[in-house]
Amino acid sequence: MSAALDYSKIFVRYDLKLERGTKEHGAQSDDILKKVVNCVVDGDVDNINALVTEALQTIDPLKVISALVDGMNEVSRLWDEGIYYLPQAIISSDVMLEGVDLCEQKMGKAMEKKGVVVTHTAEGDIHDLGQKIANALLRANGYEVIDLGKDVPVDEVISAVKQYKPIMVTGTALMTTTMTAFEKIASRLEREGVDLPFVCGGGAVSEEYVTGYNLGVWGKDASQAPPMASDAASGKNWRQLREKYNG
Amino acid sequence: MGANLTGKQRVLNALQGKEVDRVPVLCVNQTATYEQMEKLQVFWPEANYKAEQMANLAFGAASVLGFDAVRVPFCQTIEAEALGCTVKDGGKEGLPSIRDHLYKIGEPPVMPDDFLQRGRIQELIKAVKILKELAGDNIFVIGGIIGPFSIAASLIGVTEILKSSYRKADTLEPYLEIGERAGTLLAKELIKAGADAICIEDMMASLDMISPKIYREVVAPWEKKQIDQINSLPLISHICGKLDAVMDDIAAMGVAGISVEPKVNAVEALAKLKQYNHPIALIGGVDAVQTLFSGTAEAVKAATIKAIEEGYAMIAPGCSIPPATPLERLKAMVEGSIACQK
Repeated sequence: MSAALDYSKIFVRYDLKLERGTKEHGAQSDDILKKVVNCVVDGDVDNINALVTEALQTIDPLKVISALVDGMNEVSRLWDEGIYYLPQAIISSDVMLEGVDLCEQKMGKAMEKKGVVVTHTAEGDIHDLGQKIANALLRANGYEVIDLGKDVPVDEVISAVKQYKPIMVTGTALMTTTMTAFEKIASRLEREGVDLPFVCGGGAVSEEYVTGYNLGVWGKDASQAPPMASDAASGKNWRQLREKYNG
Repeated sequence: MGANLTGKQRVLNALQGKEVDRVPVLCVNQTATYEQMEKLQVFWPEANYKAEQMANLAFGAASVLGFDAVRVPFCQTIEAEALGCTVKDGGKEGLPSIRDHLYKIGEPPVMPDDFLQRGRIQELIKAVKILKELAGDNIFVIGGIIGPFSIAASLIGVTEILKSSYRKADTLEPYLEIGERAGTLLAKELIKAGADAICIEDMMASLDMISPKIYREVVAPWEKKQIDQINSLPLISHICGKLDAVMDDIAAMGVAGISVEPKVNAVEALAKLKQYNHPIALIGGVDAVQTLFSGTAEAVKAATIKAIEEGYAMIAPGCSIPPATPLERLKAMVEGSIACQK
């Protein structure tokens, strides 16, 4: 990398540098793609548009998307390690999604989706951060996300599942007072003859609780959403997912 | 100490670092459960709106569960509603929640002149007065307020506050200021109404949500400002999550008790709290979901005994009690404390 054009030193924010060290991220070989990766990792809202636009002049949009996903995977790793906190992860996911939008515009169509995932945050619960991270990671990995948002009544989850026929449903709850809605959703889905993984997670939700009802798969962290969706898309049922990820 | 203390004295002693006959049991967050509602024939949603029902259901923590303290309110929406947020009713099974956020970042927030007359504030104040009568000299009464950062989150939205807390913290100042003023005003009224302690729940300040740096720079100064104005009686801080990295910051604010989830390392926390020249009670020890809601009475009792051995000054669930938690598991906390009685 020529010293005169070492943008990495310009774009790194120092508070972040302190919190996560200074190493390079991702396996991208092009300089511009490396910058895209770093832009996502740094949550650099102000520069993503210019960087992705520049990259798209010479590079295939799918490759740019792959760089954006690399960045988000790095964020997910930093988060798993406790170096990143939710504010950073949310900003990074915004940056990534903005980049993906630009790439899709260039392609003239949306990425081909690997499957639909319906996500929601429990009724009575307005803390939808974990869900937002899961949404971003799922989108980054090529899934279509039907985002029902926060404080979602049981009925609404059931009708969304009937309408969109997802490969997986997720539920998030942060408050100890709201998580019991999940049990109701699971039993309603079963009664309707729906057989899919219902992945539940969030601060208030324990493995014991989620594995206590049929369909339930406990999600330890938002970063598990993409591998779980991949397993669901390849035909694994909720029992197989539970066996793989829980217990 | 030979003589049996009243619940009130037991809690007070624990908060003041004095000797107790046995470790007090309480919950500094919401205490209502469906089984208590059946026993007392007082139900949500009424108990979230009307002083008498609110107090009667809250007193179940003492009369049904055998806890040493009682606490109102159940929900976390009282201040935000009085500031103008619309609240969605939670029906018989759930708590009221914030339906719409009031402001977009940048819009100047307004502190209503008649804040104390709005929403359910007067009902809450009246509920504390009724609870005091029910409690007499026997039971400790806790009034709950919401911390500045969490009220600000209700005003502008959780996602917005978290993003801004990281990149543009200065844009949050007006909402934090209103959040602090609202909680402080309410706390002063609850103190006048007879509360024995105030619990400040700042659940959005959890390290599940923000980084230690954001806690120190954005959240703590406003919590401190609030605490300095209402510390005429014991104050209890409750923040969810793994707080190890900020235990010192919370302790330094001048609270009498810190309520934590069991994911906090109690031994390390206690070592930190001992550094202060006044007693600070560590409160908690029983996981609200894994042990209380999904566990067994034996597991609850065992967790209680373990927490007492670790040095918790008061036994409590690490967070709000899930309302479907069975009575026998909640009572097992009291049994655990009695089993450790000297």
